[in-house]
Amino acid sequence: MLPAAAVFHFPWEINSGEVQEGLSVRLLGRLVCYQPEESRATLSAQHASKEHQVVVHTLFVEPFNPIIGAQYIVLGEIENAEGVGAMVRARVLNCVDGVNVALLQKATNEQRSFFREREHTPGDAEQTAHAT
Amino acid sequence: MQAPTMDPAGEPPSMLWGLDPIFSAFARLYVRDILQMTESTQVPGIYFYNSHPIYKVDVLGTVVYQREREDFFCYGVDDGTGVINCLCWKNDLFKEEENSSKSSVKPSDGGFNPGSELKKLRQAQQSRCRLEIGELLRVRGPVKTSRQQREIMASCFYKVNDPVMAVQIAWMMEVPQLYRQCYDKPLQLQPTATGESAVSSIGKATNIIKDFFKQKSVSRFRPYDVQDLLQPLIPRQPQTAPADQEPVAGPSACQQLRQLLKDALKILQDEGIVYRKVKSQDELYHVTAQDKDLLIAVKDIIREDCKREKYAEKGCHILHILSAVRQRYSLNVSRAALELVLKSLECNSDVVSTSDSHYTVF
Repeated sequence: MLPAAAVFHFPWEINSGEVQEGLSVRLLGRLVCYQPEESRATLSAQHASKEHQVVVHTLFVEPFNPIIGAQYIVLGEIENAEGVGAMVRARVLNCVDGVNVALLQKATNEQRSFFREREHTPGDAEQTAHAT
Repeated sequence: MQAPTMDPAGEPPSMLWGLDPIFSAFARLYVRDILQMTESTQVPGIYFYNSHPIYKVDVLGTVVYQREREDFFCYGVDDGTGVINCLCWKNDLFKEEENSSKSSVKPSDGGFNPGSELKKLRQAQQSRCRLEIGELLRVRGPVKTSRQQREIMASCFYKVNDPVMAVQIAWMMEVPQLYRQCYDKPLQLQPTATGESAVSSIGKATNIIKDFFKQKSVSRFRPYDVQDLLQPLIPRQPQTAPADQEPVAGPSACQQLRQLLKDALKILQDEGIVYRKVKSQDELYHVTAQDKDLLIAVKDIIREDCKREKYAEKGCHILHILSAVRQRYSLNVSRAALELVLKSLECNSDVVSTSDSHYTVF
């Protein structure tokens, strides 16, 4: 069976509780810490002069080559773990070091604003999509 | 939407599908939209996004599901908006590879070995077709519905090497633009002669005027002579308002008519079908093909100048004829008009073209 679509999110949205448990997300962050014995990695990203960290459960993507300080993209489901809060159970974890972070953020926002625009205007797209 | 162009099922008639450029393109739709578009009731395998008929799509996404069968791969592709199954047939080369990989190829001793090169090529191809979860796949092909599930029957698919996400980012930036410029815009088709769009009404206006020239053998006219001909092209305004009420803002029918006539005459002038011999207050237009004086003038110029040694062999160049016509006949003759004159002279064998742009007489 196909998993749910992993929608682009920003790391600071995970901890702020905007994303519900069980939802599929994809996010980008710098690997700052990896604890293989617990299958736990921590991705970090800066936003508004604050450091935001997201814990990633890496059991499904092991073994992987952890490069501390490199950018990683993760696809997975949000889970609430005790003592950690929101955690991403990774299905995919790729190293994409060298990625243009600002441009990816811009592209993500672009995509979001496009969908927002389409849903707010009395969308012909939605109408036809739900017709019949 | 536009009720008259729809059949009862709410689809544009199939006869018009081919006129939609998106129909014959691989549409770069979001997977979410591919999963949600409605299938045609007239022809299964055709889908409608925003009334655009679509049957093949172009998708880029992460592989999140993978199965290999004897003849094909099945990949679940996630583009961040949805996940869709892609059926990717193994091609013949791929199968050959599997067979030949069992038989050993002789190792060459350093020289160029076509056998081993071919093997490398096949391996490269194979590695681009066999993807693991987490890798990026680009797939194009028709959309199918099997067992109530939408899937893409790949006509072309390959692994995309995107170590710094440049391809994905470019795609994410481009697709919303495509939606805004193409997919979300309703198709403007005018199957009936309602002349609603400005472009088609100008085309119709020029055709009406041209027909009028032909039927009546008009040689000269003034704009008001043809103005009434274009009257049917101006949509009539509903006469519901009481007579004493102020007319609503916006161009009146009369203004629209004058503008349309002006545009049509401009096009006819650009095409050389009409020209103004003298630019004066009196807007008098000459119909090029019917202007006997112009025909004679051009013929005379060619006849006279071809006697000169310089032009005797090759004939006169069209630009030379043009400048001579402008000097001796009228300053306002355009090249397009002259070309029409030369064409009609040539049809009557009054002049002969010796090359693309040289004319002579015998």
